[in-house]
Amino acid sequence: MAAPTTWDRLRDPSEKTLGFMLLAPAFLLLALIVVYPIGKLIWNSFYDLRLSGGGGIKFVGVENYVLVFKDPDFWNAAKNTVLITLITVPGALVIGLGLAMLANLPFKRKWPVRLALLLPWALPLAFAGLIFAWFFHTEYGVVNDVVRRVAAPPEPAMWLLRPNWAFAAICLTIIWKTSSFMALILLAGLQMIPKSLYEAAEVDGASKWQQFWQITIPMLTPSIIVALIFRTITALQTFDIPYTMTKGGPGNSTETLAMLIHKTTIDYLDVGYGSTLAVCMFVLSMFVTAFYLKRIGRNA
Amino acid sequence: MKSIWDAKSLRLIAAGIVVINGFFPAVWILLTSLKTESELVSKPITYWPHTPTLANYVQAFTDQPLLKYLGNSLAVALSATVFSLLVSALAAYAIARLNLKRRQLILTCIVASSMFPLVTLLVPIFETMRTLGLLNSYTALVLPYIVLNLPVCTLVLVSFFQSIPKDLENAAMIDGCTRMGALVKVVIPLAAPGVFTAGILAFVNSWDEFLLALSLNSNPNFRTLPVGITLYQGEFTFPWPIISAALIVAIVPIAVLIAIFQERVVGGLTQGGLKG
Amino acid sequence: MIRRTSLTALMSAVALVAGLGASATAYAQQTTLRVFSGGANQRPDLMRKLFDQYQAKNPNVKVEIETGGATSELQRQYLSTVLNAKDSAIDIYLIDIVNPAQYYGAGWLEPLDAYLGKPADVMKPYLPVYASSNVVDGKIAAMPAFADAMFMYYRKDLLDKHGVKEPKTWDELSAAAAKIQKAEGNANLQGLSIQGAPIEGAVCTFLLPYWGQGKDFNDAAGKMTLDKDAATKGLATWLSMVDAGVIKKNVAEVKTPDTVNEFKAGQVVFAINWGFAWDRFKDDKDSTVQGKVGVMPLPAMAGGKSATCVGGWQWAVSAFSKNKAAAAGLVKHLSSAESSKFLAVEGSLLPVYQSVYTDADVNKTAPWFKDAANVVIAGKSRPMSKDYGQVSDVIRTTTSAVLARTKTPAEGVTEIESRLTRVMR
Repeated sequence: MAAPTTWDRLRDPSEKTLGFMLLAPAFLLLALIVVYPIGKLIWNSFYDLRLSGGGGIKFVGVENYVLVFKDPDFWNAAKNTVLITLITVPGALVIGLGLAMLANLPFKRKWPVRLALLLPWALPLAFAGLIFAWFFHTEYGVVNDVVRRVAAPPEPAMWLLRPNWAFAAICLTIIWKTSSFMALILLAGLQMIPKSLYEAAEVDGASKWQQFWQITIPMLTPSIIVALIFRTITALQTFDIPYTMTKGGPGNSTETLAMLIHKTTIDYLDVGYGSTLAVCMFVLSMFVTAFYLKRIGRNA
Repeated sequence: MKSIWDAKSLRLIAAGIVVINGFFPAVWILLTSLKTESELVSKPITYWPHTPTLANYVQAFTDQPLLKYLGNSLAVALSATVFSLLVSALAAYAIARLNLKRRQLILTCIVASSMFPLVTLLVPIFETMRTLGLLNSYTALVLPYIVLNLPVCTLVLVSFFQSIPKDLENAAMIDGCTRMGALVKVVIPLAAPGVFTAGILAFVNSWDEFLLALSLNSNPNFRTLPVGITLYQGEFTFPWPIISAALIVAIVPIAVLIAIFQERVVGGLTQGGLKG
Repeated sequence: MIRRTSLTALMSAVALVAGLGASATAYAQQTTLRVFSGGANQRPDLMRKLFDQYQAKNPNVKVEIETGGATSELQRQYLSTVLNAKDSAIDIYLIDIVNPAQYYGAGWLEPLDAYLGKPADVMKPYLPVYASSNVVDGKIAAMPAFADAMFMYYRKDLLDKHGVKEPKTWDELSAAAAKIQKAEGNANLQGLSIQGAPIEGAVCTFLLPYWGQGKDFNDAAGKMTLDKDAATKGLATWLSMVDAGVIKKNVAEVKTPDTVNEFKAGQVVFAINWGFAWDRFKDDKDSTVQGKVGVMPLPAMAGGKSATCVGGWQWAVSAFSKNKAAAAGLVKHLSSAESSKFLAVEGSLLPVYQSVYTDADVNKTAPWFKDAANVVIAGKSRPMSKDYGQVSDVIRTTTSAVLARTKTPAEGVTEIESRLTRVMR
């Protein structure tokens, strides 16, 4: 038999060639759009590049990284970011799962519940922050109005002016906004679970609780992992909601890593240090999600 | 699935909570869009407008070309969604199905690209688009949006492709299909909920995006909705009623799209899972 | 015959080249200038008229407005990307008064000395503050467009009703406000409204009582000269007014539009705000305080002197512009006395020329400018630092935190000093 020609190879390619062809568009786009920026970012992180100093560039090696480790603002922002991640990721998961299961129920009219599920997502992120800041406003907010009608406290609570309350309000807003993202992914996963499995379990006498833990959760695990990875990465990059709700205040008690980077790059025009912070954020994200990614890689 | 939610009243209460949770902010915005700005500082606060007015909508449309922004956002988001799905589906199939040696590394690279804060990548992306002569065009946004959506969509699709048993494709290939044919005829239809999920994720991410849209498409003819809405404010003014009107204009198309496609995501072509 | 053909050919060639040359020069003379002009509060409609005036006088120049800088913050987000990429698409920027030093230091602005003249001469007819805020490293970084300052607005009717005179010091104001609040018996009536949210205006909130004691934040060279006790006393003054019920407890949530809206609704006795508020109180359909509003200079601290914060916007030429000379010409027109008068008459925008304040036409349309003149001329500028982004951020977030009572005034001032000593040396 003659050796396969190129045309033969294209029509029925080997796995390696096929893989190459299928991955090409994605990697071409990545190369075009982000490889140069990320490269430049890492490059800049080794330089003292402050535009306020006339834009002069000075190579400083790892000095920027040393500065980061000594920077109390960095640790404060990192702490806030990790806290937000630890609170809103499980929070959004639990609520998202509840919402997804509810949306999966046999209602007569399904669209109100499903639309309610996804509407939080339709509201642009920056305005979600502003709206909720309004809800929590001391005088003009709905929260205090309801509290006033129900409990009539002597003084309205200043939600966004107390560091802990502001932090809680921000987490609540984030969970509100992202639980629908989680619900969407989990809902699709729920739909892929064959009903026959539940029917068989019923016949075997399993309780609903047992069915939940032994059928739903295991079958849903891939979806849960996907949802968790993205919620985690996004949580580590939380910017819009705290920025619009409190601008990081009071003081910098609600300032996240992404806000610190934004401030350093755009307000302080300190491109070098901002790049260093961004690389640190990348390392943090990588570290946190590596565990998840291994799970997915293994599930082939 | 039988559960404690069988009791009808319990289900209705739960449904009620979900509906209030999802709709309340949107309803608040709708009511605000019918009020005048002075009503917003009344104490105690009002819910229903004293004298409902549509003047804010009129001003929202005359202060800025809101419909044009809407059209731009739709064009960009739809194109970005279609192309994101295309590119991600191909990549996801390669990762999920093919026995590639460095599969883990490839997936990690794709996901890693989303771990850098966009604000630090803005200037080089701007320079790239300027060099390509693409500034102030739909392409300028669609290309980066595909890259921004790539990690989510690829991961979602990988996970859904993986949950479909290989036997079905093998059966199709024995029947004479090529691999690509099997992908299109067997895998994608079965993973439809995943495809529509990835699609909605890509769409809303592209619809919401602000930083790139602000920097790359500053020409009002190509401006997108999120940027446009922030331009109603001034240095000293923040006209909530007008902004609310614009937000309603921004939310309604998405709500409609979601209402249409949620049937597909949930009802699906799979009738609730694989048979057998 | 060949000769004739070649002669014709030669003549046609010459004509062609001449024609091309002429159209080329004509084409080259048509310059399009693109101006990044700011949002609604910077009156792009009036600016358009100024551009049209210039176009009429200079037919080979076309001026296009680029929208998108609705607020200082949005502007900065956009410009930091575009100018970092050294983009030449925009020729002229309308920037806030606090920006020339920082933008010039970043290499984004073209010095205008070559086109306009020596800084000392060029800046003389303008308000004194511009000599320091617009001249960086001895070069003209930007030219004034229109001025602004913080004024003390008050309810004339309420002061008259309760027989209270215009307060001259902060203590007098606090007492006057408390007296009126008590007499009116309205739980929703605020004595004084200031901005305590971490916005740019909060920098002024910090500086007003500090300057009111006759102190300066930095010297002419830009080095910080913070008097910690005075700064602590200033912040403590605000807090004492909160304790007295004159300023509301959630002052750290108050932004500029909140003060304006609440004053319009009749809920405030004294309010500190920018110049635009006057027209809002006077002309807005939903204003309940029409005809009841007075303006006065800001009070001083006991034993100090009155001082206000100067604002306003400036025209600057991009360092990456391809039409610098033409842009400088347009900027010269925009910052001329005639333009200043036009903006004052048509838009009640405070003039940047000292002489325009006493112009007859201006006083007819905006009689309050006569009173405003003294206020603005005595106004002080915020620290002009190349690192103003950082200076502003530190001062405004700390001030807001102190007003939210998460830090004491002493702690806040110590933090400001420690963070800014390195920056403003």
